[in-house]
Amino acid sequence: MEAFNSLMAGFGTALNPLNLLWALVGVTLGTLVGVLPGIGPALTVALLLPVTAKLEPVSAFIMFAGIYYGGMFGGSTTSILLNTPGESASIITALEGNKMARRGRAAAALATAAIGSFIAGTIGTILLTFAAPAIAEIAVQIPPSAKFAMIMLAFVTISATFGGSPLRGLISLFLGLSIGLIGTDLQSGQARFTLGRPELLDGIDFITVVIGLFAIGETLYVASRLRKGQADVIKLDGNARMTREDWRRSWKPWLRGTFLGFPFGAIPAGGAEIPTFLSYSLEKRLSKHPEEFGKGAIEGVAGPEAANNASAAGVLVPLLTLGLPTSATAAILLAAFQQYGLQPGPLLFVTNAELVWGLIASLYIGNVMLLLLNLPLAPVWARLLLIPRPFLYAGILVFSTVGVYSLNNSVFDLFLLALFGVIGYGMRRFDFPITPAIIGVVLGPTAESMFRTALQQSNGDFSIFVRQPLTAFLMLCVLGALIVPQVLKYRAARRTA
Amino acid sequence: MTEPNPSPSHLTAPKRKVSLPDLVLALSVTLLGIAFWLGSAQIPFGINAVVGPRLFPLIVSVGLTVLGTLLTINTLRGDRAEPATEEDTDPNAPVNHAATNIILGGFLLGTLLLQPLGFVVGTAVMYFSVAYAFGERRLGLIAVIALSVALVTYLAFTRGLGLTLPAGLLKGIL
Repeated sequence: MEAFNSLMAGFGTALNPLNLLWALVGVTLGTLVGVLPGIGPALTVALLLPVTAKLEPVSAFIMFAGIYYGGMFGGSTTSILLNTPGESASIITALEGNKMARRGRAAAALATAAIGSFIAGTIGTILLTFAAPAIAEIAVQIPPSAKFAMIMLAFVTISATFGGSPLRGLISLFLGLSIGLIGTDLQSGQARFTLGRPELLDGIDFITVVIGLFAIGETLYVASRLRKGQADVIKLDGNARMTREDWRRSWKPWLRGTFLGFPFGAIPAGGAEIPTFLSYSLEKRLSKHPEEFGKGAIEGVAGPEAANNASAAGVLVPLLTLGLPTSATAAILLAAFQQYGLQPGPLLFVTNAELVWGLIASLYIGNVMLLLLNLPLAPVWARLLLIPRPFLYAGILVFSTVGVYSLNNSVFDLFLLALFGVIGYGMRRFDFPITPAIIGVVLGPTAESMFRTALQQSNGDFSIFVRQPLTAFLMLCVLGALIVPQVLKYRAARRTA
Repeated sequence: MTEPNPSPSHLTAPKRKVSLPDLVLALSVTLLGIAFWLGSAQIPFGINAVVGPRLFPLIVSVGLTVLGTLLTINTLRGDRAEPATEEDTDPNAPVNHAATNIILGGFLLGTLLLQPLGFVVGTAVMYFSVAYAFGERRLGLIAVIALSVALVTYLAFTRGLGLTLPAGLLKGIL
């Protein structure tokens, strides 16, 4: 009941007219930027960070909540109306939803995605409301060595366990960790890897890395391999809407998708990709019309979209309670917290209760707003997809420049931005996943500080990492997450050979 | 249309010719690891601390070097990367390096002009170069849109959000 009371207090904060306005601005901007091709939810949050720079923390996070859910919403519109997905979690929506749209059922596909996202987002937020304080209570007692082990687990699962190539994932992670080390070491005041540049003493701003790798890297890469001719956007006339038959076929996939997606978001398992695939194959097996799958079955949009959004809510559980981001978007939210001098983790629920509960309450409000906004506005969002690519990408680049320049009013940062843009281009060209690098930059410093605190408490005795029971268990999980998939792949390869 | 199947490019390892770009990249990763390694060696151990500022960078840089070496070995065995597919890309299109260079050049030029000539001119140069690199050839139209976007962004961020951006040529006018 305590969670319920705190939530009500949170609604008190979020329902203040000014904060409601910020939530509305957040969901609108989030959807708007999320719809644009080439911009996924992670970049949406990163690009909109400077916009919130002058706000009070509580208002800023209420706006972030809107941007976060809005960006997810916008992404599904793009995948349905344009046949290629913006991020791996939308692959299924692109596959099945686009087929539906091509058969003249775009309105129904958008509606089942929007309503499914609303239901999944709301149930996910309810689960978050009750799970988060309970986990935070336990998390207070976790020793630094176990926190370090937990970060290691997140590193390994995100970079090696679920990706295409573990080696490339790990290289991406280590690149991120190296970037995170640049600057002054906070414990000793020692400058590291600064090459004598005073600009590097404060470290490289995380936003510069994210915008460079995502926005500039994407612009350079797309320019080099641009699809010729008009983008193949499906026309949409009228609102997103569904028939009674569509409702009948959608509601169970929504619920099943939600309960698949939430737990996968909450554990560090490489984001929303896996639950969307699971939901798709589950719906295909349970469907009375399995022959429609692959040709535009509504269940194949409803389930995965719900899973995708429920996992977005699940991601907030480890982020808020442990300070552990499990997706690129969550990593950017974590960086946003750090910008305000806040450290997400169990103590946040005690020290910044107003902010945390205001944020959670505004997730509910944001969801309602998104539903009301997206059903009637779907045709407007669809128009955005027709923006000619030269002007769209030029705009993204200019907006990125403002975002990075306004951090420190520094031209040096813009040169760094170009450098990370080139690295981002290379990562796309050579098939390196970008999320591990982002997680490495954000979590690397925390990992180091936990590592050192743990060793200081044990007086330099390294066996702390195998003697402390929880730490030892987590370290075993790390080894398992690293080795088991390789063994499975090796055996699968031998069987086919 | 993409199939929901993460490409198992690293699984299929038939004997192929070594890809030169992949090899250059793998060696660069290794060299970067070594560079960080040498950098870590210059960090002092630190005093009065059980674990100084050097240990963690050392672990990370050795890790990066080892991973780079593994990638080099794989590449020499014929492993190569599949370029990513994005929303607006065509995997079969010929690679257009000129476009990439125009964007980078425009970005660096705009950055250099940012303080002497001001934010509006600098970002307009960037906008122009990207639009041109993406194949737009109505130069007058790009110029007009570039200047309007730059001006609106400038006003929105300085007046609307209270950020300070260099005024340059427009000093005193706006």
